[in-house]
Amino acid sequence: MALPPLPKKPFNPTPVWVALLAALFYVVAVELDVGFAELAWGARDMVEFLSRFTSPDFSDLGRYARLMGETLAIGLWGTALAVVIGMLAAPFAARNLSPSPVVYRVTREVLNLVRAMPDLLLALIFVAAIGLGPLPGVLALGLHTGAFLGKFYAECLERVDRGTYEAVRASGANFLQVTVWAGWPSILQELVSYAIYVLDRNVRMAVVLGLVGAGGVGIALTTTLRLFEYSRASALILVVLATILAIDYLSAWLRAKVR
Amino acid sequence: MSRIEIASVSKTYDNGVAALKPITVDIAAGSFVVLLGPSGAGKSTLLRTLNGLETPSTGEVRIDGEVLGRANLRAMRARIGMVFQQFNLVGRLNVMTNVLCGRLGKRSGLGSLFFLMRRSDLERGHAVLARVGLTDKAWERADRLSGGQQQRVGIGRALAQEPAVLLADEPVSNLDPATSREIMDLISDICRRDGVTTIVSLHQVELARRYADRVIGLNDGNVVFDGPVGDLTEEVLRRIYGDGEDGGEYGGEYGAEYGGEDEGGHGGDVADA
Amino acid sequence: MWPTRSGWPPAGALAAAAAILALLAVAAPAAEIDPLRVIDSLGAMADFAGHLLVAPDWSYLPDLAAKMLETLAIAFLATVIAAVLSFPLGILAARNATPHVAVSHLTRQLLSVMRALPELMWALVFVSAVGLGPLPGVMALALVATGFLGKFFAETIEAVDTGPIEGVAAHGAGWLQVRRYAILPQVAPDFIGIVLYILDHNLRAATVLGLVGAGGIGYDMVMSMRLFQYDRIGLIALAIYVAVTVLDRASDQLRRRVI
Repeated sequence: MALPPLPKKPFNPTPVWVALLAALFYVVAVELDVGFAELAWGARDMVEFLSRFTSPDFSDLGRYARLMGETLAIGLWGTALAVVIGMLAAPFAARNLSPSPVVYRVTREVLNLVRAMPDLLLALIFVAAIGLGPLPGVLALGLHTGAFLGKFYAECLERVDRGTYEAVRASGANFLQVTVWAGWPSILQELVSYAIYVLDRNVRMAVVLGLVGAGGVGIALTTTLRLFEYSRASALILVVLATILAIDYLSAWLRAKVR
Repeated sequence: MSRIEIASVSKTYDNGVAALKPITVDIAAGSFVVLLGPSGAGKSTLLRTLNGLETPSTGEVRIDGEVLGRANLRAMRARIGMVFQQFNLVGRLNVMTNVLCGRLGKRSGLGSLFFLMRRSDLERGHAVLARVGLTDKAWERADRLSGGQQQRVGIGRALAQEPAVLLADEPVSNLDPATSREIMDLISDICRRDGVTTIVSLHQVELARRYADRVIGLNDGNVVFDGPVGDLTEEVLRRIYGDGEDGGEYGGEYGAEYGGEDEGGHGGDVADA
Repeated sequence: MWPTRSGWPPAGALAAAAAILALLAVAAPAAEIDPLRVIDSLGAMADFAGHLLVAPDWSYLPDLAAKMLETLAIAFLATVIAAVLSFPLGILAARNATPHVAVSHLTRQLLSVMRALPELMWALVFVSAVGLGPLPGVMALALVATGFLGKFFAETIEAVDTGPIEGVAAHGAGWLQVRRYAILPQVAPDFIGIVLYILDHNLRAATVLGLVGAGGIGYDMVMSMRLFQYDRIGLIALAIYVAVTVLDRASDQLRRRVI
């Protein structure tokens, strides 16, 4: 008994894509001198380098703790500013809430533009305008992550069921009232969740903003590395690591609480 | 107590679908009108043009002689309460807050943005909750209530506006027959006692028969019947629901569930299917 | 009056608001929060904006393009390396796919540390170890991204439907085959989505690596700010915006096709 012939197997593009990707990877790696050999040497150098960090010197712990505290404060205030900016911008950037399509488009583009600017660039600008210290760091983080929150909050607001907004609007509420009464309560969980994520991220960024003079531990780290004071550097890195891991646990706990 | 004039209102969507052909209808103040018809007939669309949720492609809507337009939209909406098929409550907020949404049309101040309402608003809220029978649920989260209870909150929200007009878009389609009767009783009571001009869109014929003064039958965007509920015959139902559909089937199937035993009697003939 | 039983806002909300305000108050001096200072600086910022409108230095364009391509290359390489490395790490870290529970625990800790520190900090350390250039940049970005992707991959695997796993195993499939035929197909679409997100994130991160000498446009960015070369800064910011936006759109297209 002869079976009917099987239909032709459809062309599976996956191997083609993978091959293209691999080819691209190879070309780029060669261009940048980042081949497997280089990575391997790099890794070996790393291991040797890291071995210099094995005896951390905590003699300056007080100062490191203070700097870390400053870094945390920058991260905290940056996040607070970001949440305010994000909540103010989001309703205008949400298609089903925004007062007009023009306002919607313009707000979205402005948010994209500010979000594309690296925090560091914003920090540099603010340092030039305001001077050194933690304040320009706060502003840079606040603006950059504010634009991020603006976009993500707007997307959350857009996902709310259309009927919920309609009902409040049909009672005669204006744009702001619809946002506050029907919008924010419906996305409360995401609101807090994204804010916590941004806090996490901003504490990390605050560590490096010090590199451009915007306060915190960044400067201390560069100095110790430049002066080859590896034991101090490793102490500093451990302080930073401990703090960030603590914040991570705190965030996870907070996020679970808002369920 | 408001008179509604619908003048040559039609609605064609951007994708070419003509949901409503030009309709001209006058609705007397204080009457109970049911828009009857199958799905896609245009009942919802027509209803939604009355409070601006849909903008007519041609024609205009007048309430007490005033044309509904962009300038006076908010003020007009404050006088028009609406009840939805999906209830459309804000789940996380408590029942009282949902009801107080109805007062937002009258409060523009900064306070409302912080959920601050006046004492008189709260008092009105309590009165409304008593009317719809949900006083003991005032502080519960809206999404913890049953379907029937949620719809009562929706009605409460509309009542909080002290409306002159009440619109109900398939208010009982998501509810079981017994609860549907309770909700319709409530809506009917609001119309009779408060003199609120009430327009309800339904596809359940028996409910139309029980509660309406006047029925406007729609099919494919056209008005195919407009008259007192007593005139709703077999033949008329066939016109509304189209050939190949047994109007009697609608009458019988729903009749058994909705028509049933008459508790306390609510006027209108329970006409033979 | 508030619409609650007591007439006051809900206790939880009040407590949270009080805690946040207290925290901000404590952190304010460390972050040197001073609205007056910001207002005073508005003049300087307007000045800066004005300077940006100066005629751009068109002769800089070819150099800019080359550096931007390098930045893109760094991001691309780091993402691919991370995607590849996170596969085995994710499997080891997932409690339902790992050979032994202790291995999963250890791997999770490792991934946690990899993600904790900011990329720029790793880059700083790596530059000290292997020298300047794009190599330390790629290593730093790849390290952090692997930490993130590994965790995500592990979580996705843990959330997988057990039905197909049992089904495939019942036919006598080996350890590797179960993973290839039952786990992988369920996990693939989500994974592609997040890899695209990481690519976007890495591009943004790569733009600042140059600050510590780890390649890309970062160095030029910082130098042109320090030297007040307004005719270049505008071009650099624009180039970054264009690159990020193009990648954004391309990712969207890709997402639509694949997911």
